[in-house]
Amino acid sequence: MGTTVTHAPAMEGLSEDKDSEPRHGPVKPERPAALKRRRRRENLAGYLFMSPWIAGFLLLTAGPMVASLYFAFTDYNLFDAPRWIGLENFSEMFGDPRWRHSVQVTLWYVVVGTPLKLIAALGVALLLAQSRRGQAFYRAAFYAPSLIGASVSIAIVWKAIFSDDAIVDRIQKSFGIDVGGWTGDPDMIIYSLVALTVWQFGAPMVIFLAGLKQVPRELYEAAEVDGAGKLRRFWNITLPMISPVLFFNVLLETIHSFQIFSSAYIVGGGAGGNACGPADGSMVYTCYLYVQGFENSRMGLASAMAWMLLVAVALVTAVLFWSQKRWVHYEEGAS
Amino acid sequence: MVNGRNVERRTVLKAAGATAVTMGLAATTGCGGDGGASADGTVTIRYAWWGAEDRAQRINKTIALFEKKYPKIKVKTDFQPYLDFWKKFNTQASGGNPPDVFQNAIGFLRKYDAKNVLLDLSEQAEAGNLRMEGFRAGLDKFGEIDGKLLGVPVGSNSMALVIDKPVYTRAGIKPEQGWTWDDFDAAMRKIRDKTGRSGDSGMYGVMYLYDLYLRQNGKAFFTADGLGFTESDLTDWWTKAEKGVKDGVYTDAKKVAQIKPKSAVAAELAGGEFTWDNFTVRYTAEGKSEYGLAPIPTTDGKKTGQYLGSLMLSASKRTQHPKEVAQFIDFMVHDPEVAKIMGYDRGVPATQAQYDAYQPTDEVNKAIAAYEESLVKAGVLEPITPHPNGADICESAFLRIAEELALGKRSVDEAVKQFFTESKTALGT
Repeated sequence: MGTTVTHAPAMEGLSEDKDSEPRHGPVKPERPAALKRRRRRENLAGYLFMSPWIAGFLLLTAGPMVASLYFAFTDYNLFDAPRWIGLENFSEMFGDPRWRHSVQVTLWYVVVGTPLKLIAALGVALLLAQSRRGQAFYRAAFYAPSLIGASVSIAIVWKAIFSDDAIVDRIQKSFGIDVGGWTGDPDMIIYSLVALTVWQFGAPMVIFLAGLKQVPRELYEAAEVDGAGKLRRFWNITLPMISPVLFFNVLLETIHSFQIFSSAYIVGGGAGGNACGPADGSMVYTCYLYVQGFENSRMGLASAMAWMLLVAVALVTAVLFWSQKRWVHYEEGAS
Repeated sequence: MVNGRNVERRTVLKAAGATAVTMGLAATTGCGGDGGASADGTVTIRYAWWGAEDRAQRINKTIALFEKKYPKIKVKTDFQPYLDFWKKFNTQASGGNPPDVFQNAIGFLRKYDAKNVLLDLSEQAEAGNLRMEGFRAGLDKFGEIDGKLLGVPVGSNSMALVIDKPVYTRAGIKPEQGWTWDDFDAAMRKIRDKTGRSGDSGMYGVMYLYDLYLRQNGKAFFTADGLGFTESDLTDWWTKAEKGVKDGVYTDAKKVAQIKPKSAVAAELAGGEFTWDNFTVRYTAEGKSEYGLAPIPTTDGKKTGQYLGSLMLSASKRTQHPKEVAQFIDFMVHDPEVAKIMGYDRGVPATQAQYDAYQPTDEVNKAIAAYEESLVKAGVLEPITPHPNGADICESAFLRIAEELALGKRSVDEAVKQFFTESKTALGT
């Protein structure tokens, strides 16, 4: 595609150059100078079209990131000018038991929540991959939670479902398990967050579905002839064949999980006047970051925490990429 | 919105003469320009407060009244629940665009004074735009810090023990002014034994009660720049608390956390709990029983350590309309009609005129009035101890760590250590 840009009709339509080719005429070879000029014009137009995005990126993403990197090494309370304190924020962070607790909660959430979500996504994708009646409906129905799941309203509904004397609590009680609501329990609240993320398995499911469709039927037929059972076909054909898709989902969902905020903040909010659940039970990393930044007005420390998170996610991503050599199989010469 | 404002500003510049030009310029320098004045000299001030829907309805009525009396001043309001309010306020204030006038409390006065956010209202008081006389029980000094008038009280309240009356009756306890902590402990055990209910929902986390206890013993929670008690003081307080939970005289903290935001007393988990007296209204709305107010237990049979707490109205240092803001505050704290609308929603009215204007007719508000009267009669009220910059963060840390302690997530020693660490950071000591 990249080499045939010169044929893009839209670009020619825009150009006012008298030398430009007629729209539907045959392509005759151009002289290098003309080619150069045309390239430059096209680049210019390209940048022009990109400029809103570039401006947005510089102003809203890159700028704040640079500022935040600077703040990470300062004591900054929003009101007074930032004061350079070097690595003090970082040393304070590591010495803070609440910070360590938030790391633990987040890691637990990532390690438990992400695989469960992917298992649910793959499981349902396997069911939906077979053609059956009403397939489109099922796919839409299972995907829907992903669309609305990140919204604040769902988190509020979730809180209502899992709080004391709400539906989950009542069902538990009818089985004789009286532990009270999950959201008010420092040990249980994190499970309700895991349940929320698992429930939103729609997005990875759709990707799995696409992957499953790519697996050649002949492989299954051949395996069946050789007497391979369902489980064996899954392990030896399906999993290796979709491993690139699996890798993609693992990567994406892991990164997402590290960044969990709004659901934790809303489901855990308000309990004991604490934004992070009873006894910090749902205090994921970003939640503590928010508390330090906006409740305690310690933007410098919050910035340092944000960069720590970035480094951690980058490390985890690197490890995942390194590990893929061992378990991700790319088809040789695939189109 | 931004466009609309700009257009408005331009019209101002074109339409009016030199005075309007200066006004327009003033509005332009005001960053957001929300406090701009329009061509006919009408001024808009922004008023922010925390609370819920019910308070919003009352406040809107008072504002309608104010705008009728001052047709040249328009009031735009904004409200959130308590925690969200301060987050938003913080962000606005640091961005140089705080509301012109806002609800405030003692724990935030020094904090925002140190950050240069609060307007010293004494100039306006001297200019006669804000009357500082007619306040009850020395409340006019409440918002004064280092000689600056940073807040004007709108209502006062005091700590009390809210009790489930039938539970106390069944246990045969009649709390009276001057009862001691030993009496209180005995009462807690009696309630547990005779009614099968815990006596209290967990007083160890109520910072303002601990403050009273400290004051009874010649100390205080805060000094002007730090904490007024030692680690061993807090260890004693929380050790007693831990034992109380184990003995079942205090409600299981897990249950208390689970039923939130409902209160443990209304949920019939506890016979009573310590809170501000004007919160009693809430219990009656939430629970089925009959609730009353009991006095604070004492150490020596006399001194309760009590003082009047208060919600205040403060103004922003960056407001373009200090005069109008002062007039607004003056109206809100002095006008008798306002008191009739607000009732005891923000505590008992701070000025005598408003106090006299509202005579409660319902049982709950009558009980609050009677309770405050009894405090005045008993002569237990004292001046409040200062709250340093960072007090708000200490308070939320106290609440949180006490809950962790009660839930068994921390030992007493760990909890005390953690509280002192966090407080030192918050107070910058």
